[in-house]
Amino acid sequence: MVKENITYYCKKACSLTGKKVSEYEVYGAESTHNEAEIFNGNIESLSFSGEKGIGIRVFKKGKTGYAYTSNLEENEIIACIDKAVENADISTCDIYNYLPSPKDYLYSGDTVNRKTLFSDNFESFTIEQKIELAKKLESCAKSIDKRVSAVSDLIYDDVCSDTVIMNSNGFDDSYKSTSAFIYIGIISRDNSDTSTGDYFGYERDLSFFKIEEIAEMAVKRSTSLLGAKKIKSGKMDLLLHPFVSAQLLQVLAGILAADSVQKGKSIFKGHLGKKIFALDINIIDDGTLEKGLSSKPFDAEGVPKGRTVVFENGILQTYLYNTYTARKDSRLSTGNSVRASYKSPPQTGISNFYLEAGKTTVDDMIAKTDKGFYVTDIIGVHSGINPISGQISVGAKGLLIEKGSLTVPVKEVTIATDIFSFCKSITDTGNDLKFFPSGGYAGSPSLLVEDITVSGN
Amino acid sequence: MIKLSLAKKILNILLKNGGDFSEIFIQKRIANSLSLEDRKLENASSGFELGCGLRLIRGDSTFFAYIDSLTEEKILNAAKILGSAVNSSSEVKVLDLAQRKLEQRWIIKDPPSKKKQAAKKEMLLKADSCAREYSGSIIQVTGSLSDIENEEFIASSEGLFIQNSSVKVFLAVNVVAEKKGQIRTGYKSFGKTSGYEIFDNTSPEDISLRAAIIAVKMLDAVNAPAGAFPVVIGPAFGGVIFHEACGHGLEADAIIKDASVFKDRLNKKIANSRVTAIDNPSMPYHWGSYTADGEGYPPGENILIENGVLVNYITDYKSAKKTGFKRTGNGRRQSYRDIPLPRMSNTYIACGNDNPDDIIKSVSRGIYAKEFSGGQVDPATGDFVFGISEGYLIINGVIAEPVKGATLIGNGPRILKKIEYVGNNLDFAPGFCGKAGQSIANEVGQPTILVSSMTVGGTSV
Repeated sequence: MVKENITYYCKKACSLTGKKVSEYEVYGAESTHNEAEIFNGNIESLSFSGEKGIGIRVFKKGKTGYAYTSNLEENEIIACIDKAVENADISTCDIYNYLPSPKDYLYSGDTVNRKTLFSDNFESFTIEQKIELAKKLESCAKSIDKRVSAVSDLIYDDVCSDTVIMNSNGFDDSYKSTSAFIYIGIISRDNSDTSTGDYFGYERDLSFFKIEEIAEMAVKRSTSLLGAKKIKSGKMDLLLHPFVSAQLLQVLAGILAADSVQKGKSIFKGHLGKKIFALDINIIDDGTLEKGLSSKPFDAEGVPKGRTVVFENGILQTYLYNTYTARKDSRLSTGNSVRASYKSPPQTGISNFYLEAGKTTVDDMIAKTDKGFYVTDIIGVHSGINPISGQISVGAKGLLIEKGSLTVPVKEVTIATDIFSFCKSITDTGNDLKFFPSGGYAGSPSLLVEDITVSGN
Repeated sequence: MIKLSLAKKILNILLKNGGDFSEIFIQKRIANSLSLEDRKLENASSGFELGCGLRLIRGDSTFFAYIDSLTEEKILNAAKILGSAVNSSSEVKVLDLAQRKLEQRWIIKDPPSKKKQAAKKEMLLKADSCAREYSGSIIQVTGSLSDIENEEFIASSEGLFIQNSSVKVFLAVNVVAEKKGQIRTGYKSFGKTSGYEIFDNTSPEDISLRAAIIAVKMLDAVNAPAGAFPVVIGPAFGGVIFHEACGHGLEADAIIKDASVFKDRLNKKIANSRVTAIDNPSMPYHWGSYTADGEGYPPGENILIENGVLVNYITDYKSAKKTGFKRTGNGRRQSYRDIPLPRMSNTYIACGNDNPDDIIKSVSRGIYAKEFSGGQVDPATGDFVFGISEGYLIINGVIAEPVKGATLIGNGPRILKKIEYVGNNLDFAPGFCGKAGQSIANEVGQPTILVSSMTVGGTSV
């Protein structure tokens, strides 16, 4: 064992924790990170970092406490353990609070090919290559259309990380993963108007990026809306771009977590076995999805990942469970324990969560719409959607659809509905499934939705 | 946390191949958070972080590295790597470091480190029962209480050598109520740059009761209307409108990138004459306050808009240097792992002269927006949204039925001109603002104001 790698520190933390409590878990994460921002052909910022930290969860007769530290000196680890114990002492005793073991697992095997979680070439790319690539994306976007007046955001970001979990039930495993992310935000201008648009790439390493395609998409998302106007309020059909539908799907994901359901914070409570969508839609959480950027062998408390069909033919089949919530419902864990970092105790969340693609092309969806609004972006998801009450009201921009063709660009309007009505209103699903990184990896195709209130003038 | 001689050595290593500015930022942070839900203390978590960020600026480029360690060898190594990234003819000498200790200028009576976790739990339990006792329709109460003790040490080639400390406490309560299958929520938060004495005058029960009242009121909410209406925006959290409609567009990094509608608008009238707006990080105990920013620069009151005229932007070291605008001490960073950016602190519309009741009476058909769930802006176009979490219809000058949550959408420069009344009841509310992946403590504020027309994102056409 290499001294000073994260496994070494996790082992050390385990032996120190074992002296104070008998039931514990140590979660360790180590990562190296590179980020470059480009503006006008220059390096706006360049950062290098190495991060290391552990989170310790202890259990004392149904009470649990958590503490973390980025300082891995022995005395600091001990202070961290003491704090976790103090936190356990004040937490409320709960019979379901104990460490996971194989009898909690819904999925048995190691179905993820661990070699697909990282790129072997990741470390071979130099910082100069990363900067060149980012510069190329910027200049490429500027050359596509004269109306592009500025590239306001050009960020390249990559991370290589090792995740380790060890617990007193004998679990001891780790995995490595890599990812590279590139994001471009564009401002375009004509005589009378300013419009913004963005696009991104997210892969295991930078060699997979299709730079020209990313540039083109960002430019199109920006320039096609120049001259946009507010429209008159009314009900109309909406065509939602995957950028939009995937964000709405993430809201659904949040209230499908068993934790929300058990606490009365989900409108899906009591709806198992009911048909929620008018269409025969399938929604899946697949922690083993090939090429899924959220795939991993086990979740944030060491439970194996699997493929969970949450909605089948529009019918709600199951919620997403970690071990605690599974025991409470007399179920098995679907491997949906997540943490944002070693600083957070495990919570319930998604892995690769997606709405299965349909067959219709976006062009066909536009062609069959007599009067509608093609929503290409929404704003205010965090403030405008209340996942508990189910109300949705967000800012939107896009293009009007009239007699089967895209016509006038639209901005400064809102779209509003509620989650159940939204699910019932979906009339078609596109063939263009696209995934987005954000607290998991959520994917949706374009969706056609009928009769939604658009508010403008 | 570090010797003066070592700091100077690191600053020099950073500049060994040239550059205009070098900085070392060391931070020690102890954080605690407790959350109560389902009447149970579910999560009690504590954290220790210690590390340092090294920054080197050459021209328009920033080079940055951080390490989770204060080992001399590791810092020197990181500094060498960073220094090698630059090859420049410009030569800057590190100025003599003049040591200054900036204590938080206001007194902390009850620091988190002296507070037992068990005592914090008691507060959450009281908040929980107070909310539940308010109404039988309440089905869930989530209370979260968090505190941070932060120590910073900043040295830069400009000659700064500063030690700084701060303490923050934050409580948020979310209440869920149910009636006939309808679920509604109420949210209220309270936080200050202070110790646990923040609860001397406002108790956790006061906060949870307020959240409970909102949740129960919203059970009778009707659909919000769709279309453009006059909107009266209540005090305190209502200030989120200025934060989104204007504040972000005044952050000078957006100006540099030509990504702000407020570029080239200095000394021009951009808002109704009744509007004066201020960013002030130096107000004692306020949630967004600090004694020195993330670059060690002591801030003061920054008047952004005076009687409708734009007079100042919001800057950090780099953007002030690039634009020539006044340096305002708004270089803020989430932690030693992040690069400082120009960010708002406590940003508010100043007190006006109008009576809030008269403002409501002036509206024949419109919306009264009282509490909010946050907002978002695209600074390049000025288009922004913010969400109402507690709102009411106004009919013939009287507050009528509650309306379901709705988003308000508008365009910053146009909305600023439509602020027609500014009340005399200034108040503040704490929140968090996210930008470039960094979340920081931000306070908003305003008295009651009237926006003569704004699009309300309801469902009722």
